[in-house]
Amino acid sequence: MAKVLEMPKLSPTMEEGQISVWHKKEGDAVGVDDLLAEVETDKATMEYRSFDKGTLLKILSPAGAVVKLGQPVAILGNPGEDISALGGGQRPPPTPPGLSGAAPVAEPAAPAAAPAAPPVAAPPAPVVAPPAPVATAAAPVAAPPAPVAAAPTPSPTGRVKASPYVRKLARDRDLSLAGVAGSGPNGRIIARDLDGLVAAPATSAAPSAPAAKAPVAPAGLEAPEVRPLSMMRKAIARRLTESKQTVPHFYLTIDIDADPLHHLREQINADLASAAPAGQPAAKVSFNDLLTKACAIALVRVPECNAQFTADAILVHRRVDISVAVAVAEGLVTPVVRDADTKGVLEIAAEVRDLAGRAKAKKLKPEEMANGTFSISNLGMYGIDSFAAVINPPEGAILAVGQVRREPVVKGEAVVPGRRLAMTLSCDHRVVDGAVGATFLRALRQLCEHPTQILLGG
Amino acid sequence: MTVLRYREAVKAAMVEEMERDSRVFLIGEEVGHYQGAYKVSEGMLERFGERRVIDTPITESGFSGVSIGAAMVGLRPIVEFMTFNFSAVAFDQILNNAAKLRQMSGGQLTVPIVFRAPNGSAKQVGSQHSHAMEHFYAHIPGLKVLAPATPADAKGLLKTAIRDDNPVLFMESETLYNIKGEVSDDPELLVPMGLASVVREGKDVTIVAWSRLVHAALDAAKVLAAEGIEAEVIDVRSLRPLDEETIIKSVQKTHRAVVTGEGWPYGGVGAEIADRIQRLAFDDLDAPVLRAMTLDFPMPYNAKLEQHVIPGAARILEKVRAVTYQR
Repeated sequence: MAKVLEMPKLSPTMEEGQISVWHKKEGDAVGVDDLLAEVETDKATMEYRSFDKGTLLKILSPAGAVVKLGQPVAILGNPGEDISALGGGQRPPPTPPGLSGAAPVAEPAAPAAAPAAPPVAAPPAPVVAPPAPVATAAAPVAAPPAPVAAAPTPSPTGRVKASPYVRKLARDRDLSLAGVAGSGPNGRIIARDLDGLVAAPATSAAPSAPAAKAPVAPAGLEAPEVRPLSMMRKAIARRLTESKQTVPHFYLTIDIDADPLHHLREQINADLASAAPAGQPAAKVSFNDLLTKACAIALVRVPECNAQFTADAILVHRRVDISVAVAVAEGLVTPVVRDADTKGVLEIAAEVRDLAGRAKAKKLKPEEMANGTFSISNLGMYGIDSFAAVINPPEGAILAVGQVRREPVVKGEAVVPGRRLAMTLSCDHRVVDGAVGATFLRALRQLCEHPTQILLGG
Repeated sequence: MTVLRYREAVKAAMVEEMERDSRVFLIGEEVGHYQGAYKVSEGMLERFGERRVIDTPITESGFSGVSIGAAMVGLRPIVEFMTFNFSAVAFDQILNNAAKLRQMSGGQLTVPIVFRAPNGSAKQVGSQHSHAMEHFYAHIPGLKVLAPATPADAKGLLKTAIRDDNPVLFMESETLYNIKGEVSDDPELLVPMGLASVVREGKDVTIVAWSRLVHAALDAAKVLAAEGIEAEVIDVRSLRPLDEETIIKSVQKTHRAVVTGEGWPYGGVGAEIADRIQRLAFDDLDAPVLRAMTLDFPMPYNAKLEQHVIPGAARILEKVRAVTYQR
């Protein structure tokens, strides 16, 4: 019978390994103690030798893949055996490392450098943290690389694999398991994967639930309305707390002349309106669309701001995937505009419109909200002049955009009516130093004050 | 309370019950003049005489059959096998007479008999002398099977077995005979059958064990506690009837279960317990029920291989780590 070969523990402290090279290929005969692969662990490159004999039917994690302990790397069995049940049928959809489909809120999984979120209720699981930070060692590349084992692997039938206990919890709490990343074998959702998504008494069956609802108001005062935490609210609380506690933030603010950007936008929208076929709504471009593109160009110019921190290395992304914060009824989500540097402003505008619409309808897929490389948060439409945003881990920076202000400005020797726009960059100081952040903002200012460059693509 | 060794506790139960009820007698190879192959019946011949402590030839089928007949007509025999391995010779008597006659006679006959002996592996006694026989007997309706892990339970359960009107197989262990424990002196303190004992409380995983493996499970639980995993250890004590309520209640709390005992994994008591758990606690399971049993081989004689094949704390730890998704 075919069996799944898993990532073995090759060093006492190893939590994941990167396959450096396979010494057997699919179809090769494997004997006991044959060298299967070399695995780069946290300590050294180790030999992975076979405990069994058979034929290597399928390699699930190609060279370069980073795989958590116990996750499948290959299937061993007899030639011709049906391995579809073991995940050997079709490869799961290509998934960049770390795209473990986290919570529906769906920022990418935990930041690689941050300590794994302590399991709240599940039995102590010091080693394997739930939404696995898989990305650590693999260099991010623009094209989605090979599948990573920790990603949820939809079965051919699309059935969600979850333990019976998880299903009971989901029924009791009216939770959807779709999109929850399972950290158990074959992506099985196990109780601790719901940590942070469900109310306290998850696995400790002690029915001490009332304790959690203890006193909500001092005696004699009217009690507040109790609004149970949604999964999204819990994820926001967990991730942003983690960000503020573990990421050393600092802030750089610029105040730019927004007149050129304003006029360009007016002109674009007027042209779009007159070009639209009769009776059809015209496309529109927002400040944010222009700024998204401007940031993408600036990030290409200053790639150090398009980077993330890990314990071992700084990962400078070769893709510019911009997360755009969107307010929704329950909180906020951050859908990602992929490869924004290669897209035109109109294309970005249409994509953001689609993403935001589906975000509000809760129709976004987890992978559409994960693995950004930089974020933009805009509160201009709420009349905010300027603010500082919390970094969206594992990204290295986030730009907070205020409203375009009409105010008197000095031009030459005269005070004239003008437009200003304040933007604040929050930087992870482990990745982005002050001068680097300033360089990025200088590039951004230059683009925004000469915005035809935005249209020309940099 | 007195501190007794397991073998002394077994003897105390027999002595008290023979004092209490003149119908009770002990029969088997070497139980009398040799004082018991494992010295369990030491001094009993002197105390009760040759009519009640009976040495037999090496004929398990014969003296088992004679004893079943004695039970049918009103006596209450305790049959000692030198080890349970040799009960295989008497299997037909136990399966077809002891287990069946009450039902086949429409209740006109009862067979109040206890078969007792050390069971399971010892140290290098070879493939044919290392069997875990509880699985064979627990399979059979009409029999009761007990496997106590401590001196107190050995005494209390054996007394219950002797007073029961049905055939009971009482599984001792060569490797447990020397362990000591507090035992009640009260001749009326009986441990009921069909009642498991939670010997360690925990919240993260349930380890269901019997006989020697209860001690291995407690050792494993100590290691796990140091890692922050609190294991609940259940000594089932009584394999048939089985106290499923205690097991299920525990699994509903911990959501994970490992079953451990001696004996091959194919079928058997461990499989039965796993079946009950998946059936009765399905919605509470966060992981498949795993078993830590003897490996599926005839017992090797080589000491290292033997230790590899029989289950112990290491195998329990391995299974617990799997059901708690540790690596």
